[in-house]
Amino acid sequence: MNLNPHRLYGILSVACGAGYGWLYYSTISHHGASNLHSFEVCLFKAATGLPCPSCGSTRAVLALMAGNAHEALLLNPFGFVIAIVMLLAPVWICYDLLSKETTLFDFYCCLETWVRKPTIAFPLVLLVIINWIWNISKGL
Amino acid sequence: MDAQKVDMFIMTNGKYFESYEVAELRDQLLYADESKWAVIQTLQFKDPTTSLIVSLVAGSFGVDRFIIGDTGLGIGKLLTCGGLGVWAIIDWFKIMGATREKNMMQLQEALSYK
Repeated sequence: MNLNPHRLYGILSVACGAGYGWLYYSTISHHGASNLHSFEVCLFKAATGLPCPSCGSTRAVLALMAGNAHEALLLNPFGFVIAIVMLLAPVWICYDLLSKETTLFDFYCCLETWVRKPTIAFPLVLLVIINWIWNISKGL
Repeated sequence: MDAQKVDMFIMTNGKYFESYEVAELRDQLLYADESKWAVIQTLQFKDPTTSLIVSLVAGSFGVDRFIIGDTGLGIGKLLTCGGLGVWAIIDWFKIMGATREKNMMQLQEALSYK
């Protein structure tokens, strides 16, 4: 995809909006109908019955919102990354739009180049696989 | 560049680009310097069909985005379980076009390289 600042900010805004909407829905359904099964959106889990690497991250973010960092870490450490992005991205986008700069886009490009380095990419892939195995063993 | 060479390139690699870009690409290659031929010959384009298969199988992990070089978006897809499944489904339809777009960018970079 030929990514430019507008496209990236659009994608991030939609993703954050959907994330906040999903969190709101999860909070409502968690409080309102605790005896009902929560609505599952994971295609992989629906198809195979096994959790995917990011399964449990909604619950982790909800636990973080309730102040249970330890519980969030045990559920899925991805929750921390998601929570940081969801908190930081809207503020950063607003800053860039108001100051007419592209600091977030520049940071994204730097991060992308950095992550592509084999010395960084290999440990990260390994961490994701370890987290996935942990998710499966936890039976999320 | 020699018309015969350009037509051979288009016949072999036309499937890696959007159909509406092929005519324009042919003109561009015809006007390009002969020295670019060696560079263009060494390029390896990503197959849109392979991307589609990967997207269908492992789209919710963002693997399709990783293989076409959109690492950032791939991480986004991986962390959000394929954008709550929605992004994964959208990418089933979008990934072939995205792959062709990436191939075009790669070719343009090679052509502009001095």
